[in-house]
Amino acid sequence: MPGAVDQDTFDRSRRVGWLDLDAIFRTRVLMIGAGALGNEVGKCLALSGFRRVTVVDMDHVVGSNLNRCLFFTQEDARTGSKKAEVVARGIMDISPDARARAVVGRLEDLPGSFYDGFDIVLGCLDNIAARIHANSHAYHAGRPYVDGGMEGFIGRVMVCLPPDGPCVQCGMNRSHAKVANMRFSCTGEGVVFHEPRLAAEITTTSLVSAVMVRESLKIASGRKDMTLRNTFYYDGQRNVAEEMEVPLDPRCPNHPPQVLQVSENHIMSGSVQ
Amino acid sequence: MVLLTFRLKVKNAETGATVEMELDGDNSVDEMIESAATFWNKDMGAYVLRKGKKVLRGGSTLKDAGVMAEDVLELIPDPEGG
Repeated sequence: MPGAVDQDTFDRSRRVGWLDLDAIFRTRVLMIGAGALGNEVGKCLALSGFRRVTVVDMDHVVGSNLNRCLFFTQEDARTGSKKAEVVARGIMDISPDARARAVVGRLEDLPGSFYDGFDIVLGCLDNIAARIHANSHAYHAGRPYVDGGMEGFIGRVMVCLPPDGPCVQCGMNRSHAKVANMRFSCTGEGVVFHEPRLAAEITTTSLVSAVMVRESLKIASGRKDMTLRNTFYYDGQRNVAEEMEVPLDPRCPNHPPQVLQVSENHIMSGSVQ
Repeated sequence: MVLLTFRLKVKNAETGATVEMELDGDNSVDEMIESAATFWNKDMGAYVLRKGKKVLRGGSTLKDAGVMAEDVLELIPDPEGG
């Protein structure tokens, strides 16, 4: 006969000393993007105890999603199911205690105050413009933002903890600006595609999403001291994983200069660190 | 104004190839990224240059970024897919 320990879904999680499961259960997560990363992140969120998850995506499922998206089925591809709805349903299938909500629509159409209703924002996006949008709104709302990106066997996760430290935009340069409005993915109507379409495969997706959720567990558990400083970079072809530093960019629009009136004739400026 | 030029190497993280570049301290990191990406015929996309564990800011000059002669910088793709 199994004992009480074996009946507890989270018994093994409770054995990780620093995990604050009660806090994790309560944490309100905003997951933006329900593609490959969104599927894997949704799975990890549900299994690790996050119960209050809102999923935002405007897109629908197509056949080419199916090599890396756990929750999508051939039937979803045939009927063009909305990705956000399928992922939200999948989270609740895994975790009966979860209350996952789907928002089908463009991120840019959501009001800025939308972010105030969440504790953590996870970016599972496929284009730079949307990343900049999510990053700046999360930063200005004072919400931790965990951003994931991948291409083939290369992956990246960045953790932004406002009001301190750099944000995703601090790490961008002119090469990002040139492709900012292109989508690095495979579906959608009326959008400009990056050509050639990018490679994507599930092992990189799994690894990147696992790191994103692990960092979210630290934040939710009040252990920001343990989070990445500030970027995780993974190259699966060379089997290299390392932490890199993206310095704060004083010219980044998310870090406005702090103007100090020293005297009538002298004004000093510097960035808010 | 006389600008001092110096040589450094840029490594292509995807292939391991290196190229030696001659630059001056007022060249920007953005310019270096573009030059290296063009040299290797990189696909259009986002790239960053790093020195050791630190990503260099695109808009800064090499001098401000702390780049010195004989440094080996690495051009790495910044994956943006999801």
